[in-house]
Amino acid sequence: MISFEEELKKFHPSLEVEEAEAAIYNQDLTDMADLLIKMIQESEQKAEEV
Amino acid sequence: MFCYHCGVLLSEHDYCTACGADVSLYKKIIAVSNMYYNEGLDKACVRDLTGAVNSLRQCLKFNKNHIDARNLLGLVYYEMGEVVSALSEWVISKNLRPDKNIADDYIEKLQSNPSRLDSINSTIKKYNQALNYCKQDNKDLAVIQLKKVLSVNPRFVRAHLLLALLYMDSEQWERAQRELRKCIEIDRNNTQTLRYLKEVELMLAPDESSRQSGKNAKKDEAVRYISDNEMIIQPVNVKEPKGSGLSTLFNIAIGLVIGMAATFFLFVPSAQNKIKTQSQQEIAQISSQLDEKTLRIQELESENRSLSDRLNDLEKDLQGYVGMGGTMASYDSLLTVSAAYLQDGDKLATADALEQIAQSVNIEEASEGFRTLYGALQAAIGPSLYEQFYNEGHDAYGEDRYETAITALSRALKYGTPTVDCYYFLARAYHKNGDTQDAKDYYNKVKELFPESDRVADAQKFLDALGE
Repeated sequence: MISFEEELKKFHPSLEVEEAEAAIYNQDLTDMADLLIKMIQESEQKAEEV
Repeated sequence: MFCYHCGVLLSEHDYCTACGADVSLYKKIIAVSNMYYNEGLDKACVRDLTGAVNSLRQCLKFNKNHIDARNLLGLVYYEMGEVVSALSEWVISKNLRPDKNIADDYIEKLQSNPSRLDSINSTIKKYNQALNYCKQDNKDLAVIQLKKVLSVNPRFVRAHLLLALLYMDSEQWERAQRELRKCIEIDRNNTQTLRYLKEVELMLAPDESSRQSGKNAKKDEAVRYISDNEMIIQPVNVKEPKGSGLSTLFNIAIGLVIGMAATFFLFVPSAQNKIKTQSQQEIAQISSQLDEKTLRIQELESENRSLSDRLNDLEKDLQGYVGMGGTMASYDSLLTVSAAYLQDGDKLATADALEQIAQSVNIEEASEGFRTLYGALQAAIGPSLYEQFYNEGHDAYGEDRYETAITALSRALKYGTPTVDCYYFLARAYHKNGDTQDAKDYYNKVKELFPESDRVADAQKFLDALGE
């Protein structure tokens, strides 16, 4: 049996046009490729230090 | 695919031919990203929008620069009514690739119609307000707001879902089902929609499971055996339909009977009521006309009675003029008497005739001409008749014939100017005839009319004797 209160918690306010700009700026665009590059760069730095 | 280190186009090798960087992992990441994009595209093509969103987001987690995936994600959001999310994706896409990007066209199309954008923004605000209403337990207001939202933005899946949830909460299962069907038309594989729909269908057909189990039970009533490589299932307690033509006719007959019964119970009463209503209206109209006629008849009867009374009065008046003893007859008699007197000069006969006329006609109410003629005749015959009747009465009194004396003296009083002797002897005649009352009356008249006469003393003496 579906609980109205529980289901209601799953609904979130929709983004309004005025909030779009802030949402775009605050979006975390880091992807797996970025992480890979960062990891490679870190490993290269460690290798140079050693 | 370009090298993440130097930006040179990569070859089939696992290293960059320009800078020598190891790109094996990078290539795998890009491949996974492409795989997710393809999956998202496939799902979007079959309207599995939720699945497409998930796949495309995964794709972008692996490769944020996948412009096609981002643009497609924006399109999918737009199709689900999430216009601001779509706009955000397209703006990011345009920033990542400013030139030759289809996102530019999408943004331009959306921004070229500011009123459309405003109305969409207002629907989003109303949706958020409806959500607040739900949290404040103002569910009726929430339903109203969501209906407004969906009238402007009918593809807003989340609004459909929230409305369906509200309907489910108020146990309006059919309405909820309708909303969920609309969701399914937009987004075919939304898990939330399917879960709600399952619940709604369960509530709409609560005994389906039991019926299913009944069917299974029936199915179990079968004999199963394996012949060669095939399983033979032979149902038990199932009879082949016999006489299907006869049953068809029987069913048609039942249908006709039901149709006739429906006609009889549904249409006939309404037709009867209609006829009854018309009859009542006609009866009311006829009653109204009847009342008017009755009133008219009563008026005419009243008028008739009035006219009849008037006619009777006129007939009486006419009879009074022309009938026996009427005015005309009286006039005729008076004229006849006058003519006879002028011809014969018989005063006594004239006096008798005048007395008869006076008995039949009220002289005081007769016309002036009648009274003048009557008076003239009386004046003509009066003095001589007075003398005649007085003498006759006086003689009769002297001869003790009192009744004759009374008659003669009474007639004498009607003609000429009566004397004290006339009254006195009339009183005496009554006295001696035994009529004491009339005697007293005439004695009193002697006293009143002739107070200076010598007869007064005698009259008083007789009055005393009579015990006045």
